[in-house]
Amino acid sequence: MTDIALFVKVSRGDIVKWDRSKIVEALLRETKIAPKMAELISREVERTIVNSKIKFITAPLIREVVNEKLIEHGLEEERKQHTRLGLPIYDVEQMMVYKNKENANVPHGPESTNLVLAESIKKQYALLRVFTPGIAAAHEKGDLHLHNLGMIDRPYCSGNSLEYIKRFGLNLPNAISIAKPPKHPEVLIGQMIKFSAALQGVFSGAIGWDAVNLFFSPFLAGIDDKQMEQLAQMLIFEFAQQAVARGGQSIFSDLNLYWEVPKHFRDVPAVGPGGAFTGNDYEDYVEESRRFASALFRVYLQGDAFGRPFFFPKPQVHITEDFFSSEGYEDFLRLVAETSSEMGNPYYVFDRKGTAKISECCRLSFKLEKSDFEDAKSPWKMRYSAVQNVTINLPRIAYEASGDDAKLFELLGERMRLVAEAHRLKRDFVSSLLGLRGSGPLGLLAMDLDGEPYFRMRRATFLFGMLGLNEMVQYHLGKELHESDEALKFGLKVIAFMKKEAEALGEVYGMRFVLEQTPAESTAYRLAALDLKHYNGKANGVVKGNARSGDVYYTNSTYLNVGVRMSPIERVKKEGLFHPLIEAGSLSHIWIGEARPNPDSISNFVVKTFKNTMNDQIAFSPEFTCCLDCGRRSQMEVKKQ
Amino acid sequence: MRLKGFVDTSFVDWDGKIVSTVFVPTCNLRCPFCFNHQLILHPEKYPDVPESAVTDFLKRNGDFVDGVCVSGGEPTTARGLKRFCQDIVSLGFKVKLDTNGTNPGALIELVSEGLVNYVAMDVKAPPDEKKYGLATGTRSPKVLESVKESVSFLIESGVDHEFRTTVVPSIHSDDDVEEIAKWLRGSRLYVLQKFQPERAWDRRLRKFHSQSDSEMERLASVASRHLGRVKWRGR
Ligand code: SF4
Repeated sequence: MTDIALFVKVSRGDIVKWDRSKIVEALLRETKIAPKMAELISREVERTIVNSKIKFITAPLIREVVNEKLIEHGLEEERKQHTRLGLPIYDVEQMMVYKNKENANVPHGPESTNLVLAESIKKQYALLRVFTPGIAAAHEKGDLHLHNLGMIDRPYCSGNSLEYIKRFGLNLPNAISIAKPPKHPEVLIGQMIKFSAALQGVFSGAIGWDAVNLFFSPFLAGIDDKQMEQLAQMLIFEFAQQAVARGGQSIFSDLNLYWEVPKHFRDVPAVGPGGAFTGNDYEDYVEESRRFASALFRVYLQGDAFGRPFFFPKPQVHITEDFFSSEGYEDFLRLVAETSSEMGNPYYVFDRKGTAKISECCRLSFKLEKSDFEDAKSPWKMRYSAVQNVTINLPRIAYEASGDDAKLFELLGERMRLVAEAHRLKRDFVSSLLGLRGSGPLGLLAMDLDGEPYFRMRRATFLFGMLGLNEMVQYHLGKELHESDEALKFGLKVIAFMKKEAEALGEVYGMRFVLEQTPAESTAYRLAALDLKHYNGKANGVVKGNARSGDVYYTNSTYLNVGVRMSPIERVKKEGLFHPLIEAGSLSHIWIGEARPNPDSISNFVVKTFKNTMNDQIAFSPEFTCCLDCGRRSQMEVKKQ
Repeated sequence: MRLKGFVDTSFVDWDGKIVSTVFVPTCNLRCPFCFNHQLILHPEKYPDVPESAVTDFLKRNGDFVDGVCVSGGEPTTARGLKRFCQDIVSLGFKVKLDTNGTNPGALIELVSEGLVNYVAMDVKAPPDEKKYGLATGTRSPKVLESVKESVSFLIESGVDHEFRTTVVPSIHSDDDVEEIAKWLRGSRLYVLQKFQPERAWDRRLRKFHSQSDSEMERLASVASRHLGRVKWRGR
């Protein structure tokens, strides 16, 4: 058959003569098909193509014809292995030319569409190859949501320590040049930002930095106020303007800031310029550390050149019992509160009773364990990551349980077992990439400068997120969380069950499974829209938003209905009841329907929230602010009132 | 007491405090720049707030709420004000009274009986009968007389207080602000407030613009020539 006058345009970029044996080769290489069957299929394909009398064909089209024959022969598994990932030309054009309507926060440009296109292919890959068909179907149907599928080959988010850079410099694998440990604060800032950008390339989520002002402090001895202000400006502006980087996105960065020296760092020898120990402990730099924290907030308070707030890097202010006995805390808290009042961006993280956390992406945090306090003596070891986040669609479970308590918990347990399995598969996939060490795609994370890889899988967590607890309870009991004590109690029972279940599964799998409040974003919309379609009779009165226009959502995680006007006091108290159960971090947003709330009243509220509630973290949104990180839709709802 | 509005949690009504604010729907003045006139003209459009709604909220949230701000309208025109304040105080909360100062008798009584912990009193114009009449939409000379009595009382009484003026572009000149400041010498705090044109009672005022932040800074510095503490507020 070599005399067939047919030419094939192949993917690698050439035009070659038709050669049937290429089909056989590909089938044998990519699938587990029997050689005889491969031979048979290749002949059938040839016949179809020859009969069509075309003179020119592309390799992808041949592949589709082969796939069609595989289906005819009932070889579904082989077809999946042989399939091609890609997008219809129409979709590519839409993506390249028009702005993404669903996510207005993503900038539109060639860089960002590169990212979107690549992500859509990796997402298809993940669902076909990383996860089982059962898990993939659960995601597609909307029983649960696997986050960041388009970045399947990266862990989710990370908590990092400046000490690593201070000790080892910027010593990245594959880097053209290697920088020694910094000697000047400006250089430390530069290295921190470059390292963050590099980390953004291997993590899909936020890049958090622990105790930033404290770890800068040994570099700040003898620096005057003006220089201090300039350094603070440099740090914030350089981070904020990284939107010119990968995919046109900002680095989702977090600066954890402390007024007092956290207990676990007090007697730790300080690393100074040039990577050398200064001979002092961190406690001795409290003065510099505080001056830098204040300088940072003065910059946050002023905002950018147009007086607009900085969304990144997010300032996370930690408050502990010791905060209230440390000198000057009132003035500092007032400065932070003023920033809340004017700009709305500070996050107040409450570390009660000796707990310590490193916060990322506005609500996720890593709670330090015993071994971590040991690591704190050499803080460069303190590197944390959450590998994956999977969210469970809670309202759907209520629809399926039809008011039956036992059924509801049974279904929830089932979903959680599915999530655990999804986590194991993700861990195995990421581990296989890490296993390639320096020559693999995650070489940066395999970098080993202190006796273990930068990415410490042994300390990694896996997140169980939840969406729409409020709507679950609403359907199950007929009352929303804020509407009755019974509803609130039932909500707590559900989350307590999830916590226990996650821990038990963690034991079984030998992995760290913790609950997290899922960032709402598009998941809240996707799952509500799917339920409206497939559970119409039940979801109709429950989904929030406008069911007629299809602009619907579920309430974020364990939040109370965001559209209901409620005293911020009752909101922090009630939402706070859930926070101790959610180890990987929770947040309450305080919407203030007043412009420029009095900063002293804000500090007053912060202090009372710390002392009188169990709430883990709060942030304020005065009337005018628009927050990019959570529930854009719900926010508009609130504003309309 | 008849209440027509309840902001359960306010961060703006009492500096440094978290308060619940209630509104009285009646007033004896007709200030052209008043932005609560809907409440005064059409109280029936707003649902009544039972006192129990307020006290229940306070009882539930005493660990956060510092006090209650009684605003309006003009609270001293309401029947039952004194008893309401007594109830709040007996629950262990502080009371702030917003008043236009036209009822010094009631003011003196509430303060001397320890039923009010903070008074925010409007000073609408310099102590000139014509100007005061213009700024309050009234002709009675008694208005200014009463206001003067309240001003003196607050300065001398020792009760914590602030005086405040909503500065309206067509009504108040720099000189007016300076005159008011002179009149208020010895007061604890003087606050200038931005005008809110879109909500002004007198339609003719709605075409004016609100002041910029820097304009407010400047006016505050004018007042500061005669007073210890001066601030400005407004979005
Ligand atoms: S501004 Fe105050 S005093 Fe004047 S009319 Fe309005 S409520 Fe009454």
